[in-house]
Amino acid sequence: MRVAAFVTVVVVQLAFIGAGYSSDHKTFAFQMFPEASTWQADVVRVTDDGRRVPVSEPWAGYRWDALVPDSALTYPEVRHHADAGLDNQLAFLRSALNYVADHTPRDHETRYYEARVTSWHNDDPPRIEVFRSRVR
Amino acid sequence: MTVAVRAPSVVGRFDELLGRPVSMRSLALLRVLAGPIVLLHLWPFLSSDHIYRDAFYEPYAGWYPEFPRAVYIALLWMGAVAAVVMALGWFTRVATATTFAIVAYNLFLSTTHFHNNRAYLVIVLAVLAVAPCGRELSVDAWLRRRRGLPALSLTSPGWPLWLLRFECAAVYGASGMSKLLDPDWFGGTVPWMRVVQARDELPGWAPSLLTNRDFYTGAAKFIVLTELFIAVGLWSRRTRYAAIWVAVIFHVSIQLSANVQIFSVLGIAVLVIWAVPSTRDRVVVVDERWVALVRGLDWLARFRVQPGSRLELVDRDSTVLRGQPALLYLLSRLPLTAWFALPALLLPSVRRARRT
Repeated sequence: MRVAAFVTVVVVQLAFIGAGYSSDHKTFAFQMFPEASTWQADVVRVTDDGRRVPVSEPWAGYRWDALVPDSALTYPEVRHHADAGLDNQLAFLRSALNYVADHTPRDHETRYYEARVTSWHNDDPPRIEVFRSRVR
Repeated sequence: MTVAVRAPSVVGRFDELLGRPVSMRSLALLRVLAGPIVLLHLWPFLSSDHIYRDAFYEPYAGWYPEFPRAVYIALLWMGAVAAVVMALGWFTRVATATTFAIVAYNLFLSTTHFHNNRAYLVIVLAVLAVAPCGRELSVDAWLRRRRGLPALSLTSPGWPLWLLRFECAAVYGASGMSKLLDPDWFGGTVPWMRVVQARDELPGWAPSLLTNRDFYTGAAKFIVLTELFIAVGLWSRRTRYAAIWVAVIFHVSIQLSANVQIFSVLGIAVLVIWAVPSTRDRVVVVDERWVALVRGLDWLARFRVQPGSRLELVDRDSTVLRGQPALLYLLSRLPLTAWFALPALLLPSVRRARRT
């Protein structure tokens, strides 16, 4: 019993470390200071009538920096270092788009949120991706 | 009639190793140190006017329980109180388990709460919660003495200690290995770019040296091999002190150069578990005036301290040291002075004294 419990903990820890090489959040993988990557994103609201409004402008009583405070996501238009790696940072950005889409009930004009992301993995050339929240 | 005696299996021998009684002193000391570290960890949550769900957060799983605001805040305060009680060693088992449960619950509330230092703290608290680490350095032990009850055994099956040693080495090993396997890291690109990105925060004289890319071709390998050396070196008695000495520098350097929350203090505190898990197996004779001080600094209970006319130290292997070598050896075994004294053990006079 004691051996089984001990070995299980060791195997689970090693599994977390192994999984860290492919997961976004690298939970219990202890990959520290993994990258020098940077990213920047232009985040807009796409309204029902097709307008694309930057989220830096308040809307329906909401402010992006209040909905997504205390992180590099607060000012996505500024180029930031991806502290825990690009995969981690961009996973948070995708989640944040969905979070804002789900937590802005007074907003009746936005159809979805969109981020046009430019990322630099270490000293690689820039890569451009577009993320969208779920449609509201 | 003959009785066949079967040799124990590998599993049996491993079980015997895990169950072998060892001193829990280092875990008791770690428990005392972990209390303030938990307070440091919880303080940003306690001092904020907001809670996690006032803004962007991301649960790991939809079924994970979330409490009303007042209950959540009360839980955090209960965690802080439990951490203080844990450090004091009062109802130690309950306090440690409560501290662990609340810190772990808070960590798993949202992916945005996750940081490596917090994960390491949860692991440390989990081990402390299952280890009998309240039988010394605790109010519980003091109360037993006061009530005239016999002291509980200070040894216990060693598996929690071995488990925490594995986790400790895994932290350094996983970090070093991830850098070793990443050509951008091992080749120097990542550390060089990180310094360049932080150029504005460097002192005026630094940029020309620290932003030289060629420097990082070698420096990156040094950093990676340092982490791997700590992970491996901790396991051997021949290299353990060197690994601990390097680990302290490693943590102080990180603390000075990056925002790592509680990682540095936690990392240094956990190093106490690498002390040999036996106590009072060395004798030191010191002037009567110094007895209380040496006892007070001997947090890992490595010495039987006796008053005498001249400084003398008898090691586990019965080696007797006197004078300066004895002093340096004594200081190298006290947690607060060890880092400063360990290099002095390489002095020829000390090495000669250890051999004779």
